Amino acid sequence: MPDVAQPLLSVQHLKKYFPIHRGVFGRVAAHVKAVDDISFTINKGETFGLVGESGCGKTTAGRAILRLLEPDAGTIQFDGIDLLSLGKEQLRRKRRDMQIIFQDPYASLNPRMTIRTIVSEPFAIHHIARGSERNDRVADLLKTVGLDSSVMNRYPHEFSGGQRQRIGIARALALKPKLIVADEPVSALDVSIQAQIINLLADLQQQFGLTYLFISHAIPVIEHISTRIGVMYLGKLVEVGTSQQICTAPKHPYTQALLSAVPIPDPAARKERVVLRGDVPTPIDPPAGCRFHTRCPIAVDRCKIDEPPLRQIEDGRDAACHLV
Amino acid sequence: MTDERSECKPDAKRKRDSAQPQETLQPSRDVLEVKNLKTYFFTDEGIVKAVDDVSFRVPKGKTLGLVGESGCGKSITAMSITRLISPPGRIVGGEVLLNGRNLISLSEREMRQVRGAQISMIFQEPMTALNPVLTVGFQIAEAVSAHERVSKREAWARAVEAMKAVSIPDAEKRAKDYPHQLSGGMRQRIMIAMALVCHPALVIADEPTTALDVTIQAQILELLDSLRAQYQLSLILISHDLGVIAEVAETVAVMYAGKIVEIGAAMDVFHNPKHPYTQGLLRSVPRLGTSVEKRDRLYAIEGTVPNLLHLPGGCSFAPRCYKRTAECTLAEIPLERVAELHEVRCIHA
Repeated sequence: MPDVAQPLLSVQHLKKYFPIHRGVFGRVAAHVKAVDDISFTINKGETFGLVGESGCGKTTAGRAILRLLEPDAGTIQFDGIDLLSLGKEQLRRKRRDMQIIFQDPYASLNPRMTIRTIVSEPFAIHHIARGSERNDRVADLLKTVGLDSSVMNRYPHEFSGGQRQRIGIARALALKPKLIVADEPVSALDVSIQAQIINLLADLQQQFGLTYLFISHAIPVIEHISTRIGVMYLGKLVEVGTSQQICTAPKHPYTQALLSAVPIPDPAARKERVVLRGDVPTPIDPPAGCRFHTRCPIAVDRCKIDEPPLRQIEDGRDAACHLV
Repeated sequence: MTDERSECKPDAKRKRDSAQPQETLQPSRDVLEVKNLKTYFFTDEGIVKAVDDVSFRVPKGKTLGLVGESGCGKSITAMSITRLISPPGRIVGGEVLLNGRNLISLSEREMRQVRGAQISMIFQEPMTALNPVLTVGFQIAEAVSAHERVSKREAWARAVEAMKAVSIPDAEKRAKDYPHQLSGGMRQRIMIAMALVCHPALVIADEPTTALDVTIQAQILELLDSLRAQYQLSLILISHDLGVIAEVAETVAVMYAGKIVEIGAAMDVFHNPKHPYTQGLLRSVPRLGTSVEKRDRLYAIEGTVPNLLHLPGGCSFAPRCYKRTAECTLAEIPLERVAELHEVRCIHA
C-alpha cells in the first residue's frame, strides 16, 4: 500500500433517481431516490466497504459509479478522469480498468458458454490476445483463482457456487483492472465457502494491488475485508470511517442499531440490544429532516426538520447526525 | 406508510428466560423425540441419503437449533417430521414421536389433523408461503377453521388475536390487508401468527429470518423467543447462520451430509466444539468488533460439501478434515458421548 494515500476514485454528490410512471400516458408520478447525494473517496490499494440494509441504495451506488446505470447528478473522478464526461467509446475503453463481481454466481455466468469463452470474453471485447496466447492467459487466470486449467471446456452448471464465484472473479481480473466493485460477492455462498472466497479476494488484492469497492449487507464480512466503511440508509451515507472506528465505536445511532442487531455466534454474548422500531420507510417519499428520525431512539424535534449534513466529527470519521 | 408502525417496544431488551422462572423447577418432558430417522431420495442416478439416522429430542418450552450448510439435510429433517416428503423421497426408517405418538405410522388423514394444529411450520420466504389473492386475516382464520369447529366470525376474531400476539399494530385493520401490502418483516409476523393460532405443541421455523434485513431479523428472533417462553412452545430453529442459532437455541445439532455430527448444549457446542467440522465452521465466520487484532486470513475449511450421491466411506467430512487418518474412512463413525448431553461423531474428538 502506498505511504501517501492517493485517491483512485472520488465520488461527489452522486444521485440516482428512478422515475415511477403512472397512468395511461406514463406520466412520471414520483421518483425512487435510490442514491441521494453521496460523496466518498477510495484510495489506491484500499477496500472501501459499503454497508446497509436492502433498499438503502448500495447496489445502485456501485452500478452508477461504473456507469452501468447513468447517474442523474454528481461527479465521479476515476484515476484522474471525469467518468461522466466520457463518450460511449471512451467509456468502453476505460471500463478495462473497472470491473464488477456479482452476487449471484448462478445468474452472472451464461449457461451456454464454456468457462473458456466466459473468462476470455473480456479479451474478445477489447481485442486483446488471440488464439493460443488467449488460451494461456485464461489458464493462468483460472490458476490464479484456484481452479485447474482443465475446467476450460466445461459449462457453469457443472460447478458449485464457490467455484462459479471463482470463475466470475477470474473474468473480472482478466483485463488487470485497477478497481473492482464486488457486489455481495459472498452472500449466496455457504459459510465454509465464504471464507475461501474472502481469503482469495484479499490475496488477489495483495498480488495485483487492487482497489475494492465492497458492497454487502453482512457487517462482519465488511468489517473483516474493509479498510474503511461507509454506512448507507435510505440513499444517504450516514457514517464513514475506518473499519475499526465504525465497528468498535459506532457514533451514528443507525450504525449503532445495525451493529447491535448482528447476531453473534456465541450464546454467552447474548446482549442487550437496541431494537429498532418499524421498517425502513419508502425511498419514494423519505421522511423530512433526518431520514432516520422515524426509527431513531434518540431523535429530537430538530431531527424532523433539519437534515443533518455528513460532517467530520473526528479524525477520519464523518457522521450525519445532529446529536453526535 | 410503513414507517409509522411501531413493531416493537422501543427499548425491548432481550433477557433470556427471565420471564419463565418455572422452567427450571422440574425436568421438562420431551414434546418431540426423533429416533433414527432416515429419509432417502430414490433418484435415477442412485440413492441420496438426505437424512441418515438422525435422532434428537425437543423438551417442552425449549429450542433446538439445527445448523448446517446447504444440502446437509436440515430442511429435509423438518419436512420428514411433518411428513411433507414427496417422491422420489421417502421416509425409510425411524420414528417421530410427538408427545409419545409415532407420526410415521399415522394415516395421511390423521396426519392432516396434526399439521397446523400440533406442529406448524414457518418458512423462509413469507411471500411465497402466503396466498397473494386472499387477505392475511382470512388466511389465518382458515387455519383455525381447518382444525376446529368454529364460526367464521370466531375464526376471524382468533386471527386478529393471533396478530396482536405477534405485535402487529392495528391488527383489526391489518387483517384486511393483502400480503403485498405488508413489509417483509410484517409478512413473517403473519406467518408466525398463522403458525401459532391453533396453539401447537411444536413449531418448526426453517430459516425464518434469512430473507430479512438484520434489524428486522433481530425483531423476529426476539418475538419468536418471547412467544416460546410465553406459550411454553417447543421450537426447532433451522438456520445456516451460527449467529442466529446462538441467539435462541438451548440445544444445538450440527448436520453434515445428512448426519448429525455434533449435538449438545449451545454453550458446549459453541465454546467447546469437538467435531472438526463444527470447529471449522465457527472459526471461518468473521466476528464483529475484531478489526483491532485481525487483518489476517480467515480460517477456511478446504474443499466443498460432498455430493450426497457419492459419499466417501466412513466419515463424510474426512476428505476436508485436518485430523483425518486412515481409520476415518474404514467404517461408519458412531455418535459418541464426550460429556453430559454432548455427543460427537468423530473418532478423534
